[in-house]
Amino acid sequence: MITGTAITKTFKQRGNVLGKREVPALRGVDFAIKKGGAVSFIGESGCGKTTLGRIIAGLETYDSGEIVIDDVAMSGLSHRHRQPYFRRIQLIHQDPYSALNPTRTIHQTLEAPLRLRARQTGRPRSWVDARAEELLSLVGIDPGYVLPRYPHQLSGGMRQRVVIARALTMDPEVLVADEAVSMIDVSLRLGILGLLRDLRERLGVSVLFITHDIATARYIGDEGELYVIYRGQVVERGSTETIIADPVHPYTQSLLSAIPVLHGLERPGAEQVVPTEALDEAQADEGCLFTRRCPFSTARCEAERPVLGHDGGEGGEDTEQLHACFHPRSRSVIPQGVRA
Amino acid sequence: MSRDSAAPEVRIRDLTVVYNTPAGELPAVSHVSLTLTPGTITGVVGESGSGKSTLALSLLNAVQPPGRIAEGSVEIDGLGDVLRLDGEDLRRTRGRKVGYVFQAAQNSLNPLKTIGKQLLDLGRSHDVEDLRALVADAKALLSRMGLDGARVLDSHQHELSGGMRQRVGIMLALVLNAQVVVLDEPTTALDMITQATILRIIREVHEERALTTLVITHDVGAVAEVADDLAVMYGGRVVEHGPIAEVLGAPRHPYTQGLIRAIPRLSGDISLARALPGRPPTLGTLPAAGCVFRERCEKRMEICETVEPATATYDGRSVACHAAGRPAPVKRREYA
Ligand SMILES: Nc1ncnc2c1ncn2[C@@H]1O[C@H](COP(=O)(O)OP(=O)(O)OP(=O)(O)O)[C@@H](O)[C@H]1O
Ligand SMILES: Nc1ncnc2c1ncn2[C@@H]1O[C@H](COP(=O)(O)OP(=O)(O)OP(=O)(O)O)[C@@H](O)[C@H]1O
Ligand code: SF4
Ligand SMILES: [Mg+2]
Ligand SMILES: [Mg+2]
Repeated sequence: MITGTAITKTFKQRGNVLGKREVPALRGVDFAIKKGGAVSFIGESGCGKTTLGRIIAGLETYDSGEIVIDDVAMSGLSHRHRQPYFRRIQLIHQDPYSALNPTRTIHQTLEAPLRLRARQTGRPRSWVDARAEELLSLVGIDPGYVLPRYPHQLSGGMRQRVVIARALTMDPEVLVADEAVSMIDVSLRLGILGLLRDLRERLGVSVLFITHDIATARYIGDEGELYVIYRGQVVERGSTETIIADPVHPYTQSLLSAIPVLHGLERPGAEQVVPTEALDEAQADEGCLFTRRCPFSTARCEAERPVLGHDGGEGGEDTEQLHACFHPRSRSVIPQGVRA
Repeated sequence: MSRDSAAPEVRIRDLTVVYNTPAGELPAVSHVSLTLTPGTITGVVGESGSGKSTLALSLLNAVQPPGRIAEGSVEIDGLGDVLRLDGEDLRRTRGRKVGYVFQAAQNSLNPLKTIGKQLLDLGRSHDVEDLRALVADAKALLSRMGLDGARVLDSHQHELSGGMRQRVGIMLALVLNAQVVVLDEPTTALDMITQATILRIIREVHEERALTTLVITHDVGAVAEVADDLAVMYGGRVVEHGPIAEVLGAPRHPYTQGLIRAIPRLSGDISLARALPGRPPTLGTLPAAGCVFRERCEKRMEICETVEPATATYDGRSVACHAAGRPAPVKRREYA
């Protein structure tokens, strides 16, 4: 179990004309990843998904807040003592084409981390080859075919499976999959998503799934939890199925409304929400972060910042999911199936 | 109405493009015939390596070695066969008559010059007389795509995000008022909201200017939103082509059926979506005879091993499959 409380992170960018610019990438984010669970982060480009994923994987520092792994607070540990904890969390690179060293065979790619693992766990050298084969079978590819080959001889889907197998060499408890299927052909995506689901079920690995393509979040298995992130703040959080079927935050609704409709199979949702402006990260930070783009914004939204809760707002009913909005209301935004 | 203001028809006939590889010349596009109806947006979808970009390059006669257009023609109303143009005629056609954004256009801008400077270079090379008007048009297009036109024109490539560069590419494709526009992966790597905005603008500009547009993507969703017609490519062939609602709603080619079934969906039973078995072919693994899709096909018959299926027309749609005579729409309970 990994939990985070009030994580903040601000990047200092070398600005252009305006001089130094501070980019608040995360503004006090809480999260919890259960053993064997699935947590998905969605949101527009630049909202902080990768930053949060990298912090969870121990690859990025944070300014304030606390991360607790299996009841141990990371702030109390030295860098060296933190390492064994973060080793249990492995990041899967988004680009299967650049993630593998082109000059090494798949056998060589898996051998190096497995040797290290063998030393760490006191296993004999002979274990390494057997484990490499076992891991490749686990991710659904034929070890005999793949082991002697170089990355360029494999399809995108196979490469991504190899990348996942490499992450598994460290016996991780959490896999952080940052856009792990976006670069893969549509025809092969479900295969990788099914593999992540399988790893959860069979090995009890938790999956942290970061994506632009919200529909894919439904395919990494049951009891998934969805976090909708906007400008560094979680604005809606709850069960993946609930939020997709019945979103209450206007930002979530605009994300879901933007998903293309498959004409002939679907018709657009009846109450689609379109933001009134484009995203501008330099926008003022007063009030609700979404207020300038929100079609339902009121004076209160401009003055106060809503916090994550179940409150149904004036005259409304409390919601199942958490949301940060003064006027939550469910709207029918996703495409509906039609008769073929 | 002057000739110019009517959208042109584009007729691709029997087009074959080969790449020279260690194993000899292999076809990346093989005997493709495709008509782009005047004033429509045609989407081209297919897996990586199916020949989409090679087809796009052929429309501008821009295939580079080791590639070579081996046979066929690309007739555009008012221009004739583009494949017969060369030298100055060809240079003037590109950009002015046929606007284009090639794949990975984000990386094809000149890193040393501001976008504005590159715009002026483009205008001069096409003898645009009123450069002020050109800049004004460019700014208007950029602001429609949600960008601050003046700022973008003053920027160098590295000062723009990937999504901004992609929009700059689209602006450059449209700004010379070409009547045929080819966009190769215009929204890849954009998030959903930005993608939706850009697709809407492509559609609007297309209609305002009466263009004939080709949009290439590996993402069926992205074209489903803008295209009138859909062409599905597999292994260098167009295996199915027709009105988009019909191709998506009742696909006839087993590959189109498998592709649609493989799309993760927001609603409905998730167990109904399935990955397509097998893997996408490469130039070297394409079978030399028979149907190129047969190894991954659920419906394959004996004839598929030896005879390449001819393209036949079924209710306004063309399909290249021996089993296409027997329609089998994608069965997904939620739509039944
Ligand atoms: N190393 C860095 N230096 C400066 N700014 C950064 C750095 N990394 C991220 N940022 C900024 O922090 C914000 C969040 O970035 P992040 O990469 O986490 O977004 P994201 O949600 O993963 O976006 P995308 O969907 O495009 O991958 C952005 O404004 C980004 O420009
Ligand atoms: N310069 C080249 N030399 C050799 N083969 C090439 C070259 N360019 C493309 N090919 C091959 O031609 C085939 C078609 O490539 P093309 O780029 O047209 O595919 P695509 O459908 O656009 O794929 P993607 O979705 O990856 O962009 C592929 O098998 C590719 O490997
Ligand atoms: S709090 Fe107000 S501005 Fe923010 S999302 Fe809700 S309605 Fe819109
Ligand atoms: Mg990211
Ligand atoms: Mg391409």
